[in-house]
Amino acid sequence: MISCLHANLAACEAVLSDIDQQGIDTITCLGDLVGYGPQPNEVIELVRERSIPTCQGCWDEDIIDGLNACECSYPSQLAERRGHRAHHWAAERITENNKAFLASLPMTLRRDRLLFVHGSPNSQHEYLLPDMNAFAALERVETAGADTLFCGHTHQPYVRELSDGAIRVSVQKDGNHSDSEQEMILPMRRIVNAGSVGEPRHGSTKATYVVHDDDSGEVRVHEVEYDVATTCQAIVEAGLPEVFAWRLSHGFEYAERAEDASHVCER
Amino acid sequence: MERWALVSGLRGDLDLYEQIQADLQKQRGTAHLFVLGDMIGPHPNCDALLKRLRQPKRRDLQPHCIYGWQEEQLLSLHGYRGEAKAEELHRQSDESEVRRLLQAVGTEHLNWLASLQFGLIELDCGLIHGSSADVGDELDETTSPLILLDRLTRLEVNRLFTARSGRQFRLQLTGGQIRSKVRDHAGEQLNDQPVPRRSVIGVGSSGNYTLYDPASDHIEFRSVHDQLRAR
Repeated sequence: MISCLHANLAACEAVLSDIDQQGIDTITCLGDLVGYGPQPNEVIELVRERSIPTCQGCWDEDIIDGLNACECSYPSQLAERRGHRAHHWAAERITENNKAFLASLPMTLRRDRLLFVHGSPNSQHEYLLPDMNAFAALERVETAGADTLFCGHTHQPYVRELSDGAIRVSVQKDGNHSDSEQEMILPMRRIVNAGSVGEPRHGSTKATYVVHDDDSGEVRVHEVEYDVATTCQAIVEAGLPEVFAWRLSHGFEYAERAEDASHVCER
Repeated sequence: MERWALVSGLRGDLDLYEQIQADLQKQRGTAHLFVLGDMIGPHPNCDALLKRLRQPKRRDLQPHCIYGWQEEQLLSLHGYRGEAKAEELHRQSDESEVRRLLQAVGTEHLNWLASLQFGLIELDCGLIHGSSADVGDELDETTSPLILLDRLTRLEVNRLFTARSGRQFRLQLTGGQIRSKVRDHAGEQLNDQPVPRRSVIGVGSSGNYTLYDPASDHIEFRSVHDQLRAR
């Protein structure tokens, strides 16, 4: 699983080469082919050439539908302004043919009990952070009818296992008496975040992806070195906000975190 | 402390609203009336009820209104909801019902309906027509506790009062836990999270309404229909 490629061609090529070397036969992309980086068309065309099944990310959606998420998508106003600049830069350069491809991408992909999304099953904009309330996180996987949910969007890879869950309830109806207590045993479920190929923010500049073994169920996070300086230089030369190059060369979020990362934009 | 009355699904029925107001007069200590949406519906004419809600009579308990599923459909038919065009309503009803809803509400009430809030937070309680996920979210006592807990968590409230299902119930989360194991670049973190003691309350609809005492956490489900039958 690869995610959040963000128009960073050097990182995409390095990750795909690493995947090929391991003889992995099924690649799935969790969206955000564009945004932040300087090579949106090249990255879209690479994904198209290799026929990688891809779901639509929030940046992909915004390029097609226009910016209609509210300010909640960004952690600060400065970050929002930078994001808008990058959006307009990309929207002007992405070819009509490639935009049609982005528009054709599904929100989710499914293979048996494995579900693939960008943000969450509810929205490409919702962040499933590793410290999200465990019951709410389980609800996302369970309501979507999956055993394992693969997502991206946060740019921080993790594997989360939710187990040994139970909820006890008592119900009061018409009268004022409470019925006896009932217990619901919760199923074990997993959330796997693939991190980011093109804009890692997990404290390292290395691109990340995850490998899932369909037979054993084992999940491993892989990190791949690539030529960060080349992409940084291309960002600056393209006239994109320089902080994107700074962030790429440090490997963590520049702005403060959103106040309520679990907020779902209603617009 | 003063009790709350929680009403929903009046659907343009002024007579019903007057019966509820009369019933409330008899209830000692009820000081706040919350109308959790669906003030309108495909009733012959909702204007009289809307006027009464906006300009209460002197003896009326002053209503605090939020919008419900019916208002959401009407407002989206009138273009108040951007590109949304009452898709839910069209899916569930035929064209004559859509027309009846449009005809039931005078345009002089639209801006007022559009000014109403999605929900209210009072003390540690969330008051919403559907839920924190959607105005059309139907929660009842058979809804998965995992979903109910999610809706409570999204609002960070201890009690969620909902009306969309039309059911009267109180479901309390009384115990339980979940184990979360996260493996990331920082290592492995194990965390056992208990189920918080929270509840979801269905306030009922139409003549079925709910009284709530925040001081004692006591819930009373009432019905003006029962009283009519008893007469």
